[in-house]
Amino acid sequence: MRISKILTSLAFAALLSLVAAGAALASEVAQGRCTEYNKDAATITIEEYDLNFSKENPYGKPTGVMSVFDAKDAKIGIPPAPGDVLRISYKPEGSAKQALKVMNVSKQDLRKK
Amino acid sequence: MDASWLYLWMPIAGMKIFWPGLVLIGFSVGCIGGFFGMGGAWMVTPGLNILGFPMAFAIGTDIAHIAGKSMVSTMRHSKFGNVDYKLGLIMIVGTMAGIEVGAQIIMTLERAGNIGTIVRWVYVVLLALITWLVFADYAKAVSKKKKGDVGEHGAEGITWYKTLQKLNIPPMVHFTAAGFTCSAWLPIGVSFVTGVLAGFLGIGGGLVRMPALVYLIGCPTHIAVGTDLFEVMISGLYGAFTYSMKGRIEMVAVFVMLTGAAIGAQIGTVATKYARGYGIRVAFGIAVLCCMISIILKEFKMDAAAAVLILGTIGIISLWICKITFVGAAEELRVKKAREAGA
Amino acid sequence: MKRLSKILSLSTVVVLLLPALALAAGGPAKDLIVVADTRVLEPGPMRYFADLYNTNTTLFAVWATVMTAVYGCFLGFLMDFLMSRTGIDLKSRKIIEH
Repeated sequence: MRISKILTSLAFAALLSLVAAGAALASEVAQGRCTEYNKDAATITIEEYDLNFSKENPYGKPTGVMSVFDAKDAKIGIPPAPGDVLRISYKPEGSAKQALKVMNVSKQDLRKK
Repeated sequence: MDASWLYLWMPIAGMKIFWPGLVLIGFSVGCIGGFFGMGGAWMVTPGLNILGFPMAFAIGTDIAHIAGKSMVSTMRHSKFGNVDYKLGLIMIVGTMAGIEVGAQIIMTLERAGNIGTIVRWVYVVLLALITWLVFADYAKAVSKKKKGDVGEHGAEGITWYKTLQKLNIPPMVHFTAAGFTCSAWLPIGVSFVTGVLAGFLGIGGGLVRMPALVYLIGCPTHIAVGTDLFEVMISGLYGAFTYSMKGRIEMVAVFVMLTGAAIGAQIGTVATKYARGYGIRVAFGIAVLCCMISIILKEFKMDAAAAVLILGTIGIISLWICKITFVGAAEELRVKKAREAGA
Repeated sequence: MKRLSKILSLSTVVVLLLPALALAAGGPAKDLIVVADTRVLEPGPMRYFADLYNTNTTLFAVWATVMTAVYGCFLGFLMDFLMSRTGIDLKSRKIIEH
């Protein structure tokens, strides 16, 4: 019984400290078709898609809204090329959008793996 | 008919998964693992993959559920039994390094884009091996019985460990509980190899670690059992950590499966009370064989057939184990009641 | 069992050689990045973890490991409690070792 008690109290201590560590960073996600990836300026421009997924538009429908992301510190998977559908998690900083992770949705269809 | 309520949204992998399949896999793993006294994680990775998880997510999710399950059994036994902690601690080094290497191999394969096919074929080979061993063992037992040979598990004179223990590579360590001295590199090497397999396949590794501890290191069986349980917990927790660092884990699925597994494990272990004999090994062999076939079906894109085969097989075997438990338990409680009434 | 350990050590060697094969076949490629689509999630625990997944992988990993362990402990206690109430004699069972 002793070990189980030690384990439980350890687990709860860890849990409490985590709760204290607080909320996740506020972040948002955008998805859309890449129109430009500027490697030198480290910016990615996408035309945002909405959430109306369908057979014809599996990634959502184009909204016409163009967004520019600062990808200086972003983790980028498969390099985006114009035309790829990207999903970007970003931190809004004023009017700028700081990209955190860039997922190349169309080139890494996970379902095929 | 609207069947959308049968599908649960996986927030990270971003896909809908047939949740009754998840529950069934979790429950069966607990049930079959508890009944046959052998972890059932080998059916989880292929099962999740067949349900639609990308292979890396299937492995990460499997290994995390092992961590949770090993906590359950640790709680349940309240102690590790006979653990040689010195041996266990030395093996942690190898286990963690091995898991990391295994996980890195998975990530490399994922980058190269052929992870699904390679992992599936490695699984097919592994399961073919297990099937063959189970049936060979069964055949041997049957022929022995015919000859009237009762002598079971006689010392077969496997003495590799005697040679291996003599390897004089410093540091030499004496393991008090296990009662032998050997080079620290021997357990580290064994646990590293096991760790690689565990990290690569998303299994607990007891399947490899147990025989290795007994035959290669020369650990007494009861110490090997306890130390293995300890190692599985470490391996599962580290595996869960490293796979979530790599972002290849689906917590929702882990929790659903863990719940099923905890319930299944109770039923499975109680069933061992009422069922004996070699016949149950055949059932185990069939389960492994069907799992192997369904992986092959998945590889050739027959997803529906693969899902039906694997879920059907483990479902039927779990039902059979449940029947053994409930019939046996009802009988036991009836006898108990009658005895109390008589007294 | 001895055959098992022999063959399994062999298969480990094969597994270790796989990445070399993969690299020879396709050459090194970029890591795959996964972003959880939080747009479709309601605020709540799911949203919190998906957010965490997108922003702070280390904290997410610690959370995942700890929660799995805690939930495992909880289930262990719960099952112990429930099984002790069924009235089945669990003590006299022989543990069958393999």
